[in-house]
Amino acid sequence: MSFSAANLRASQGPPLDELIGDRQLVVCVGSGGVGKTTTAAAIGLQAAIAGRKVLVLTIDPARRLANSLGLSRFGNDETQIDLSALPEAKGELWAMMLDQQKTFDDLIERISPSEERRDAILNNRVYRATADNISGSQDYMATEMLFDVVESGRYELVVLDTPPVKNALDFLDAPGRLARFLDKRVMKWFLSPYDKKRVFGRLLNSTSAVVFRLLSHVFGREFLDDLAEYFQHFRDLYDGFRERQEAVVEMFHDRRKTSFFIVCAPNSPSTEVAQFFLDELSSRGMPNPGVIVNQRHLTVGERLDARAELSSAIDGLSEGLPPAAAGSLLARLGASHRRLLGLSKAEEAIVSSLMGSLRPDQVSWQVPRLDDEVNDLAGLARVGAFLFQRP
Amino acid sequence: MDVRKLLNSRLILVTGKGGTGKTTVSAALGRLSAERGARTIVAEVDTFRPALTPMFGQKPTYKPHAVAPNLDISNISWRDALVEWLRGHVPGQRVVRRILDNNLVQTFLDATPGLRETVILSRVVTLLEQYDRVIIDMPASGHAISLLGVPNVAIGLMRGGPIRERAEVILQHLAAPTTALVIVGLPEEMVVNETVELWNRLKKEVPSLREPLVVLNRAALPSLSDAERALLERLDTLNMSDLSPVQQELIRAGRWEANLEASTAESLVRLDEELGVPVIPVARLGALGGFDGGPVRIVQQVASTLKRAELAAVQAAGRAQS
Repeated sequence: MSFSAANLRASQGPPLDELIGDRQLVVCVGSGGVGKTTTAAAIGLQAAIAGRKVLVLTIDPARRLANSLGLSRFGNDETQIDLSALPEAKGELWAMMLDQQKTFDDLIERISPSEERRDAILNNRVYRATADNISGSQDYMATEMLFDVVESGRYELVVLDTPPVKNALDFLDAPGRLARFLDKRVMKWFLSPYDKKRVFGRLLNSTSAVVFRLLSHVFGREFLDDLAEYFQHFRDLYDGFRERQEAVVEMFHDRRKTSFFIVCAPNSPSTEVAQFFLDELSSRGMPNPGVIVNQRHLTVGERLDARAELSSAIDGLSEGLPPAAAGSLLARLGASHRRLLGLSKAEEAIVSSLMGSLRPDQVSWQVPRLDDEVNDLAGLARVGAFLFQRP
Repeated sequence: MDVRKLLNSRLILVTGKGGTGKTTVSAALGRLSAERGARTIVAEVDTFRPALTPMFGQKPTYKPHAVAPNLDISNISWRDALVEWLRGHVPGQRVVRRILDNNLVQTFLDATPGLRETVILSRVVTLLEQYDRVIIDMPASGHAISLLGVPNVAIGLMRGGPIRERAEVILQHLAAPTTALVIVGLPEEMVVNETVELWNRLKKEVPSLREPLVVLNRAALPSLSDAERALLERLDTLNMSDLSPVQQELIRAGRWEANLEASTAESLVRLDEELGVPVIPVARLGALGGFDGGPVRIVQQVASTLKRAELAAVQAAGRAQS
């Protein structure tokens, strides 16, 4: 690494750890492929080095956290990351990836009033298909798991890595959406034909009767029966669900507990998404201290003369190689530097336009693209150093 | 999927990790297809901020509209797809309106597992009836798996009814030899991991899918000679503290590009070993590796790379025969 601090001039304002302070939850949002998972893991690692007990939680269905932490794979279990290679680390780093089905099953286990009820739900065909396979329940499960780990008090800090943009918004909305889904009125409406005492009154007069007949035509009667059973099971559990969902929503809005960080790369598609998140988080009143720009290409110097600079150094190294190699490599180095500089400047323009739309109380951080891919603890520590460096 | 057959497919599904350039590749395939005279539509799936907009300078809506001769674009929003689907299956507009005006029913439909995915895929099938070629810019990895997995789930859950019937039709299309799956990746270790994992999981969830073709976007194709690379490596062994910042920066810039070439080479080897499917490398464009020159130009460049790959495959096949 040959970046000078001046060259980086990256972060304006306080280092990230001051902003995180003693908050319990950090959420990383942004478009795909911008190093969100890496950033989440790097933040987690830095906090662990500083002495906190940290859990990094990823709900990305692509399961990339294992890659970032250099682990082969881990399931829904909270797995402690071995920090023995970093003797300065005073805290603990744990990681977990969302296993949707298991999270759902555990939840049912916890809130079911009886074993019979639990088994009836777990064996319902709609339940099996939904918990396992349908997108949307993923987002809900993430908030469920999040609630669980934060409330457990097992960790001082939870760092959450979210899926790419469209779904991250679903994720912010998931609590609300599920609460609507479990709305008692909706359930009552849907279940009324199944309510034996009321079935006649219902079917004889209302719009619902028409709609319901229609639905059984569309979905098939058997599926509707399964679905009704599914909803009936959940009807009694509704209050438990709602309380937990409301707690998550409240946590998202609590600036003393939570920070959202937007992560982006220095290209226009990604900064457009970042801009979108700036607006969204702001309009939802969610605490967002700033933006992390990853993968910045940085360099120093203009129009460097590779021949003048490196001829003498290269002459001593050319033994056994064709004589033309030195000249062509020097030309190549000059061209490479021009391309790197061009890239750096283009990124600068893109980033500064995003910076212009930050509120005065918001901060930006820039992390250079490192020479090697970040896929181990040492790499994460290097990324973290840029986020947490002192001015 | 053979490169030569790609542009003869009826349905092309484009997916991959987020940020790899799925939309660019979808748009490029759309351009090529339309240039060859096929009535083509490029559609994205229920996106909040349509990604196709910068590629064609127009925002896609549910209703397809033309952006070039033979080329339409669309954004398959699930609510519109639902309305269309209800209209097709429910006798009488009055009833459809009654359903859609009822908030409770809306919420119910919103919450019904798999309905969203089914009506979206159903719309894809409808588009196949109207166009010679349908190119779908799919969601990223995990959500693509959920989307394509739904017909099997629906068939497992419903023993009859129009949704099940539609799911069966969708599955037939997914399994057809005229359907191509394209996975877009980048020459980076983690992206290659995800590309491999994506296909392994898709294969499991939707066993009838045929093997994909990988587009390796932003590839750095080899340009350094062996002697140049050897010399650069020797330069790299110099003690950096003996060098001036300018000297260090020049070496770093050279190493930056050499590393890009090395990761591309390594990614190609890994994709071949771990997936064993055809890979088309698309060269990085300009300094920004894909983001300078504007999206329209990038789409053109990707299109011409795909065309060259196709031509090369035809020539290679010709040589093998003679």
